[in-house]
Amino acid sequence: MDFDRRGLLKVAGLTLLGLSVKPGWQVFSNEEPAEPSPDAETLARKRWGMGIYVRKCWKEEGCRDCIDACHRIHNVPDMGTLKEEIKWIWKAPYEKVFPEHEFEVTQEDYQQKPVMLLCNQCDNPPCVKFCPTRATWRREDGIVMMDFHRCIGCRYCMAGCPYGSRSFNWRDPRPFIKKVALDFPTRTRGVVEKCNFCVERLAQGLIPACVEACKEKALVFGDLKDPKSEIREVLKFKTLYQRMPELGTKPKIYYIL
Amino acid sequence: MTPILQHSSFDWALMIDKRQKIIGEDRVLFEHIWKTGKGFYITISILGALVLWGLYAYVTQYRTGLGVTGLSRQIFWGVYITDFVFFIGISHAGTFISAVLRVLKAEWRRPISRLSELTTVFILMFGVGSVLIDLGRPDRMLYAIRYAHFTSPLLWDVCSITTYLTVSSISLYLALIPDIAMLRDLGGKREWFYRILSLGWRGTEEEHRRLDKAIGFVSVLVIPVMITVHTVVSFVFAMTIQPLWHSAVFGPYFVVGAIFSGVASVIVVMAILRKAYHLESYIKPIHFNNIGVFLMAMTLLWFYFTFAEYITVVYGNEPVHMAVFWSKISGKFAPLFWLHFTLCFVIPLPILAIRKYRTIRGTVIASISIVLGMWLERFVIIVPTLTRQRMPVEGAFYVPSWVEWSILAGCISLFMLLYALFTKVFPIVPVWEVREGREKASASVAARIESYMPETGSSRD
Repeated sequence: MDFDRRGLLKVAGLTLLGLSVKPGWQVFSNEEPAEPSPDAETLARKRWGMGIYVRKCWKEEGCRDCIDACHRIHNVPDMGTLKEEIKWIWKAPYEKVFPEHEFEVTQEDYQQKPVMLLCNQCDNPPCVKFCPTRATWRREDGIVMMDFHRCIGCRYCMAGCPYGSRSFNWRDPRPFIKKVALDFPTRTRGVVEKCNFCVERLAQGLIPACVEACKEKALVFGDLKDPKSEIREVLKFKTLYQRMPELGTKPKIYYIL
Repeated sequence: MTPILQHSSFDWALMIDKRQKIIGEDRVLFEHIWKTGKGFYITISILGALVLWGLYAYVTQYRTGLGVTGLSRQIFWGVYITDFVFFIGISHAGTFISAVLRVLKAEWRRPISRLSELTTVFILMFGVGSVLIDLGRPDRMLYAIRYAHFTSPLLWDVCSITTYLTVSSISLYLALIPDIAMLRDLGGKREWFYRILSLGWRGTEEEHRRLDKAIGFVSVLVIPVMITVHTVVSFVFAMTIQPLWHSAVFGPYFVVGAIFSGVASVIVVMAILRKAYHLESYIKPIHFNNIGVFLMAMTLLWFYFTFAEYITVVYGNEPVHMAVFWSKISGKFAPLFWLHFTLCFVIPLPILAIRKYRTIRGTVIASISIVLGMWLERFVIIVPTLTRQRMPVEGAFYVPSWVEWSILAGCISLFMLLYALFTKVFPIVPVWEVREGREKASASVAARIESYMPETGSSRD
């Protein structure tokens, strides 16, 4: 066969293209589920949820037991400014959490009262869709997890979350932690973090720290798939609210008025 | 060492004759490569200083974290993401002027095709760079490829922008080859460099035919890629469920805005190069006029999309959307909103619409206004939504810090610096295309016009 330069280039190009088909296909057909947990089946039997008795929470004014308990064990820093604030569980005025409950005839008395907010652990979490690296993902038991070591800090999950549940480490948080809890990782600057439903305590058979810390028993936690669980009993006969259910995220934090 | 020295002993006359033949009547197109005036060194020094200043700002940010910006928990995207959308938008110019006008066989595009393609390729790098600057952990940027999660619109951006950068670089390079070969034949101490890049171009008919085919193919290919690029950029916002981002009109709205700002910046680039490199006889008032007419159409189209976007929101009257809407119209973003509207519409429209004002000076003023206005437009789209997503938070404010402004200044300076250095190596007006136009265009245009004419009895024979 007679090869001029052009012919050689053509053959070489086609060969390279042919050789790249298989690896290329492998990269783009990579549809493995996001690293299934070793005990995915066991996890999937449960669906964790939380109920919040809004009125019980108002009994003691200025109480922040749940916030302090959570932030202490999770090494959440106190940055001191609103700008760089990091929070996993926090309070906001009722009228801002449930603006749709405001009517012309509403009594003013509870509009300014605090409501506890935390990650809604959605069944259909927008943040998970938006993460370009799968640094945040939904575990089989419904907990939206966060890998601080894979997060590239693009903050797209924050744009995706309609609840403002996520915080970003604008600077190194370590100097701002009062006392470092050694059994939970600290974060570096440049990554996003949020409530993890105390996944590390659930693994030990404990309930979340905020639920444990509440003296008024305003927070109820349990397995929504178990018909005999405490949370199912609590949720059964009450009128329940969720934050922005119309967005289709299916939050798993229920508010009981 | 250099070929000139070897030849100089015996045959100066022949040598000069050969050079004269290559340069022909287009000496001015080569002059900016050979002659470097004081103005050039001053410009380079100023730009270099600004680049270093921007670099210092970035090092500061890299060492202490994004806390040195004005960004906050609530308003977590600001100047950098605005720059990203803005720079990628500017990059649409090259494709429009070079590829679309080529496909449409607009002969007047010839002298300005390279300068607009170059704008595309260089500014695109800064679009990508702005996102990387915005990352909290830039050291992990490759995780986006290693752990690529394709449900994220950011990955769509990675794909389409990479494709666009590749295709537009190829397009720029292809049209450079014949000019590189001329520079190679002219000799000099950079001959080896041009020899490698010219790929053995000899300028035969067959080579020209193949090059034409290749450029034609790339021009057609790059147009849909260009449209996907800004569509996907808009999807970064439109795919979220945030008020005033979650809009189906965002794709075309962003593409129109991109071509609008891109073409305006090409007018500015044209004016600067024309003045600095004495290209008055190549880049003429007719070029400014023609692009000016197109820019006027884009002004109206931009207004149409802006109107469609906001009227839908107002008529729907949903509280979360209206809260953001009013913050733009009469709230704390009102000065920026109305400034951007003035710069993008009120100022350029009359200038571009009235023939008397559509001069070089007029189109340049309108273009500068549009470029500034479009940066503000991106800002006014991104930031107000973040101040009040679905739940207003106290104390949400954003004032960009010196770091953000310095990095923006550094990026623009580096862009201009690279551009200036390019003109020291390659001609900025495609010499061969201009010659091809001079030699063949009138005949081919005449033939084309002839083919439009109604056929008469005599021509059918």
